[in-house]
Amino acid sequence: MKLATISLVLTVAAYSQGLDPAALVHPSSAIWPTYNGDYSGRRFSPLNQINESNISSLAVAWAFRTETVAVKSTPLMVNGVLYFTVPDHVWAIDARTGRQIWHYHYDSNGGDHIGNRGVGMYKDWLYFETPDCHLVSLNAKDGKQRWKVELGDVKLGYFSTMAPLVVGNHVIVGVSGDVTDVPGYLDSRDPETGALQWRWYSAPKPGDPGSETWPKNSDAITHGGGMTWMTGSYDPELNLVYWGTGNPNPVLAGEGRLGDNLYTCSIVALNADTGKLVWYFQPSPHDVHDWDAVQTPMLFDGEFRGQQRKMVAQASRNGYFFVLDRKTGQHLLTTPFVETNWAKGINSAGQPIRDTAKDPTPDGSLVSPGSNGSTNWLSPSFDPLTGMAYVSARRQWSVFYKTAEGKAEGWGGRDRGLYSEAVLEGIDYKTGEVKWKHEIGPGEGSGGIMTTAGKLLFSADTSGNLLALSPSTGETLWHINLGGRVPNSPMTYEVGGKQYLVFACGDTLYGFALTQGAH
Amino acid sequence: MTKTAYRLAVALLLPFAAFANDNPDPAAVERGRKGFIASCGFCHGNDATGNRAPDLIRSPLVNRDASGNLIGPVIKNGRPEKEMPGFPALSGQQISDMVTFLHARINEALASNHVPSDYPVAKLLTGDAAQGKIFFNGTGGCAGCHSPAGDLKGIAGKYSAIDLQSRFLYPRRAQSTVTVKTKSGEQFEGKLLHIDEFDLEMTDQAGWHHSWPRNEVQYTVHDPLERHRELLRKYTDADMHNMFAYLETFK
Repeated sequence: MKLATISLVLTVAAYSQGLDPAALVHPSSAIWPTYNGDYSGRRFSPLNQINESNISSLAVAWAFRTETVAVKSTPLMVNGVLYFTVPDHVWAIDARTGRQIWHYHYDSNGGDHIGNRGVGMYKDWLYFETPDCHLVSLNAKDGKQRWKVELGDVKLGYFSTMAPLVVGNHVIVGVSGDVTDVPGYLDSRDPETGALQWRWYSAPKPGDPGSETWPKNSDAITHGGGMTWMTGSYDPELNLVYWGTGNPNPVLAGEGRLGDNLYTCSIVALNADTGKLVWYFQPSPHDVHDWDAVQTPMLFDGEFRGQQRKMVAQASRNGYFFVLDRKTGQHLLTTPFVETNWAKGINSAGQPIRDTAKDPTPDGSLVSPGSNGSTNWLSPSFDPLTGMAYVSARRQWSVFYKTAEGKAEGWGGRDRGLYSEAVLEGIDYKTGEVKWKHEIGPGEGSGGIMTTAGKLLFSADTSGNLLALSPSTGETLWHINLGGRVPNSPMTYEVGGKQYLVFACGDTLYGFALTQGAH
Repeated sequence: MTKTAYRLAVALLLPFAAFANDNPDPAAVERGRKGFIASCGFCHGNDATGNRAPDLIRSPLVNRDASGNLIGPVIKNGRPEKEMPGFPALSGQQISDMVTFLHARINEALASNHVPSDYPVAKLLTGDAAQGKIFFNGTGGCAGCHSPAGDLKGIAGKYSAIDLQSRFLYPRRAQSTVTVKTKSGEQFEGKLLHIDEFDLEMTDQAGWHHSWPRNEVQYTVHDPLERHRELLRKYTDADMHNMFAYLETFK
């Protein structure tokens, strides 16, 4: 009789499977609740069950075929469930077995299907951006759509790809689209309704601070671009959100927008509750090469030239590594992380000085890097154990043509890529010195980087090999040929006492774990 | 005219329309251009990029228009509150052509993120062929592998101008060859199929496939593009344009 009572209690017990937003501030090392694993953008996991001494026992634990397109998203892992995406699709799969729990399909009304980076989570709800620039909220339990709201008008050229960032009761979402000359912005949306809480525009209003960096008596500032298409970082103590912005428009033809074009190609610090700009730093003033400064801002604390600081670093698409004080925006360091040929030096503010001879021209200008950049969306990592930042970089050359005649609209030109070779690098944040380089082959790397307390760095080469390297030296410790390009950035979690590592290869997601008895 | 009558008038335009179409009728675009210049160009600019009145390529209304449903009424009625006059005398066909022209201009802007393969040679021909020849035979070291009378004969006729510029800088499909010596002393020569950090794969001269862990064999790769990669680091833009002008003489 007693047993029967207990079993009845167990039958009716219901456990919340949600994610308390307060837990995001100090997440358990077992889960992966945001795009980069935590708010810091370091993509560093404290898990160490898989480590440098047992990495040779890593094996495929499960695989999940989406039978769609390349998986560019990083899954979230909360309460034993992985949530991940491709454009128009979201899946929940069992984090231990890789078997599907539910699948959601969104019927896009057009829009660019170039990729999707994943979901954000708040309590029992997921948030997903769509190719036709909507934000959709789903029930994490069953994948049922709760609501959707428009973020931007797809008919004007907006689309969206990024993984929303949940901060307190804010769902922070950016937009994409530089084929038309439309303004970029970052929204904070209500997690319950999708209603707009605040919107920060990448270009100031005419007359406001920063507007002096755009021409007067022209519509340039209202068509200036600056898309917010990669997930940013957040410092809970300072309550600041750090976000990178994309290129100004028209993209390659700059003469209609003379000036620095703030706040495009910038790293901005915004108050998470108001969206007000607190400080900015612009890696590429007056960009004419499509070098978005959207690469993940990595937040870390440490000593810099004898002083303890809270810092933010970015390895930027223009080929330069920047370290800033993240409280004030004070510039601390700028160094090139690969060879480039477009800058004449670094100015007193720490910005590369653009060589105007390398601007796009009608007859072509030979520029390194090309528009895809010295790095791009693929995640960097910062390892607090080594004090190094890691970047998947490229040395590349391209000829930039300005094709526009008259008033440029849209791109106004394009580059034609010549050659690219890819390299993983470890950079000492204190000096900017590249401590090691690990060549990963011709072309462009497409897999991001993760480091772990197991003294491992995970990434991929351009031949379909997953790699585990030593974060200290860049030496290879393990590899496996997965048979195709790795299109996403890796993540890790622990379920049932076992650490898993997840990579995508093409349209398939792979989970890895140590073979039985290896840990 | 009542609002309903305007809607009807606009609806009647629809059968003539071929808007928001990637391949609009060029004749309609041309008629629309002329009509636009005559009626709208003074304020909106002859290319519709704006003058005293707004840039229409960037106009939300024009971008949201489907088959003239939004543009048509504005042309007919004008926007008195913004001092834009209406053009009630224009025929349905004339308005339809103007709408086709505006959508074609938007498509041109959207397509401006590609350099077309028929990009005009005149735009690229800014260099000095004589200087290009000097570079070819001297600093460039091109003559070590290539000759105007041999492999480069007629090269300018073989490729479009823009492709020729890309290809002389970095021809993509050049086959690397490899010589491999195994631990047991066997030697293989042939085409390199794949090389990465871990593996080397090749086809020997008889057409058979071989592969080895890269660290278990001695090998020498001959990559004909190595010199091209070195040059990418050395070219000035003037060198590039001079070389193009020189190669463009090889008709």
